[in-house]
Amino acid sequence: MHKRGQAATAYLFLAPFLITILVFFFYAFARAVYYSFTDYNLFNAPRLIGLKPYADVLGDSLFRRALANTLVFSITVTILQTIGSLLMAVALNNKIKGQAFFRSAWYMPSITSSVVITLIFLWLFQRRGVANYVITQWQAYQPLILSFLGVLIVAQVAQVLFERARRLPARWTDPALAAMSALIAVVVTLALNALGIVHPRAVPPFDFQYFSDTWVQIGGVRLLSMPLLVVIVMNTFTTIPTLMLFFLAGLQNIPGALYEAADIDGATPAQKLLSVTVPMLRPVTFYVLTVSLIGTMQMFDQVAVIGSAAPQETLITMAYYVYTNTFKSGAAPVNMASAAAIVLALIILLMVYVQRRFFVAPEAV
Amino acid sequence: MSAPAMARSGARFDSPQDQERWLARRRWARAGWLYAFMIVMSFFFLGPFLMGVLSSVKDNPNEYPPRLLIPQFSPASISRAWGQGVQGAGDGWNGGLRPGRSVTFDVSVDSPQGAPQDAPTIALFTYQPTSLVALAKQAQARDYAQVKTEQTGVSGSVHTYRTTVTYPPLSPAQGEIIQAKLGPVSDRVTAILPGGQNVDVTLDTPQAQSHQYDLSETQLVELVKVGGTYVLRGPVFQRTPLQVDVQRGQRIVSSTLPPSDQQNFDRSFAYRNITPGVLGYTFNNYRRAFDETTNPQTGQSLFLRWVGNSFLYAALRVMAALLFCSLAGYALARLDFPGKNLIFVLGVLFVQMVPGQVNLVSNYVLLRDLHLLNIWGLWLQGLVAAGGVFLMKQFFEGMPRELEESASIDGAGPFTTFWRVMLPQAGPALIALAITQFQGAWNDFFWPVVLLRQNTDFTLTVGLSNFRSAYGGQGDYGLILAGAVLSAIPVIIVFVVFQRYFVDTGADSAVKG
Repeated sequence: MHKRGQAATAYLFLAPFLITILVFFFYAFARAVYYSFTDYNLFNAPRLIGLKPYADVLGDSLFRRALANTLVFSITVTILQTIGSLLMAVALNNKIKGQAFFRSAWYMPSITSSVVITLIFLWLFQRRGVANYVITQWQAYQPLILSFLGVLIVAQVAQVLFERARRLPARWTDPALAAMSALIAVVVTLALNALGIVHPRAVPPFDFQYFSDTWVQIGGVRLLSMPLLVVIVMNTFTTIPTLMLFFLAGLQNIPGALYEAADIDGATPAQKLLSVTVPMLRPVTFYVLTVSLIGTMQMFDQVAVIGSAAPQETLITMAYYVYTNTFKSGAAPVNMASAAAIVLALIILLMVYVQRRFFVAPEAV
Repeated sequence: MSAPAMARSGARFDSPQDQERWLARRRWARAGWLYAFMIVMSFFFLGPFLMGVLSSVKDNPNEYPPRLLIPQFSPASISRAWGQGVQGAGDGWNGGLRPGRSVTFDVSVDSPQGAPQDAPTIALFTYQPTSLVALAKQAQARDYAQVKTEQTGVSGSVHTYRTTVTYPPLSPAQGEIIQAKLGPVSDRVTAILPGGQNVDVTLDTPQAQSHQYDLSETQLVELVKVGGTYVLRGPVFQRTPLQVDVQRGQRIVSSTLPPSDQQNFDRSFAYRNITPGVLGYTFNNYRRAFDETTNPQTGQSLFLRWVGNSFLYAALRVMAALLFCSLAGYALARLDFPGKNLIFVLGVLFVQMVPGQVNLVSNYVLLRDLHLLNIWGLWLQGLVAAGGVFLMKQFFEGMPRELEESASIDGAGPFTTFWRVMLPQAGPALIALAITQFQGAWNDFFWPVVLLRQNTDFTLTVGLSNFRSAYGGQGDYGLILAGAVLSAIPVIIVFVVFQRYFVDTGADSAVKG
């Protein structure tokens, strides 16, 4: 191999890539670091003023709110979507007919743009919107639903006890018996409804204002705002399918022999999930967690689209803080924006590092 | 559960067949629950989209309680909308009201004993669309047409009324009828013919004279060609909005088309357009997305412009990625050179980890100074995607070394090897790369919203988010949902066609990598 010629070719091949990242990434990065120590505001000549922008940013109550919102958002969404996508991948990994259909149907939220989904969610979560309507219906039909669940449980317990009396190895969650119980529960509930014993309640429309200044508080500390909760639901909804694919790819690599062995030991599906699937998926889980953390820490689109529809404090995130400070009308405190961006980058790098260092077996990385 | 486990739990079956049946029953039940779960999840993931799509055709997507039965989809309503369009403009698709035509509209009112027995008040009203751009005021049907109502029948307490909207032409002149757009405002009235020719318009009656100042530029009109002169017959209206008011105790039980809006304790019924045609009825919000974003200066639809911008940006991104990402990926995977690891770790991994917000200020300032705050600047700053380089590197690493070795024995240099041997093998990876890049560019929001400053430069995502802020508060959700549905269509088409590759993108390479 002629190494010298190869190096020249390699650099030639890499030239467009290297030039772009040098100009639009490393130069930009260096400039952001420089700006974060100056008094730059887009229109003046930058002058070094030391650490003051960092002090300003940390002293800004809006920044502290943005930091808290971002951390709450990032951690909640990462947990929700990792668990959700794992469960969905396990369900989808069963060899059943129509698998391709379900996979594409579930993947839909991932291919549509965040702007479109945010607009649809804004509409769903209006004061008189579909979300509130569904809750109203749930409240109205609560007597029927509760009686259905009650009958279901009673029927299941009765059936399992009967089977066990016949010395058959029925579990509390036996699917065949549960199907029977569900059928019985439907019939009984319909009968009760027809007899007029149980009927839907008349309830006033549920009128919750989602995009308002409402907070979940613990000990007077504002932890999570309602608009942010909606964005959490929305983000989980859109990212679960993408992450599900990673888990699916990982599941295909688990040897079937492990499950056969678990079967022979009489493991329940839950036991198989916890003692075979989850440990075997550790490398994928690590990857998913990393991707998810990096993605959620930078959350911007949803907040920007919702914009003035919700009070700023309830939704502001680090990324949006950087954006608004850069383009604030009047004097734009670009130095503060840069400082906040650097803080954000440091937090992300730290999170990834910590995660790599402590949570994962070394061979996975 | 398998046989040994059962033996341990002390199960008792009368025969092996019994045990087999018991196990089979459980397998079936488990499959049933699994399907039930998957169907429920499908509803969860598709439901919001389905609701959005269905509601995007409604006159009032905010109606409460939300209905799934939508008159815009009922064949009876659609065929009546067609009929009204034919009456008003001779056009069952686009509808409208033209000079010299008349339209009838039926309303049935229930006036039970004890309630007032008066006929409803029926009148045309003004409908002025709000728009993103300062829109020239459109001529209104109520200023030109006459409304006459008569009772046509009684059955029990239900009285039927027929309203006739007549629009007499402004000029009695006879001749060839031409549709034209009014030209720029000046002291003369001019019109632009379909061929692009600019002509003077003659106003030959007092009626026509009296209306000359309320007609603005780009208004669609009908002209009569008499010899060499063009005589104004009257403006063409896209909408004929009608309002019906009944008294307390009375109730509207049916009408030719279902009402768009009910106000005033259901005593005021608004019909936004009684001459809609099929497109104006079922796809009204979609038509509005294009029509109501028209820039009066250029006559160009902003929405169409955004679609074009998005396609241009996506196409540029895909082409750049195919070329540059595969070159860089190949070099990182197969060539040997100093600094290779450093470039991979810093240039690919680090770049993906650092948030784009860090580069926001610098790139904005840089592109502003280069006067590139447009699609080209947007494209330039995202020219080579680090993720794409990673994807191609993973792919090339998985290819057999023998291919290259045999090429090198034949005396091929690295470039020939790449171009002739490796790239033709990379089909699936290139398709996957093209798809991720297209989807990424089409859905991109952060950089476009930062860099694009003029509303003619917007991509679809930025334009759509402007829809929301432009109509603020209550929100014109008909328009927003229609725009959202339209903008999702291209990605969905790409997804349906290339589904297999979508599912392959990223996941495999990441899990193996």
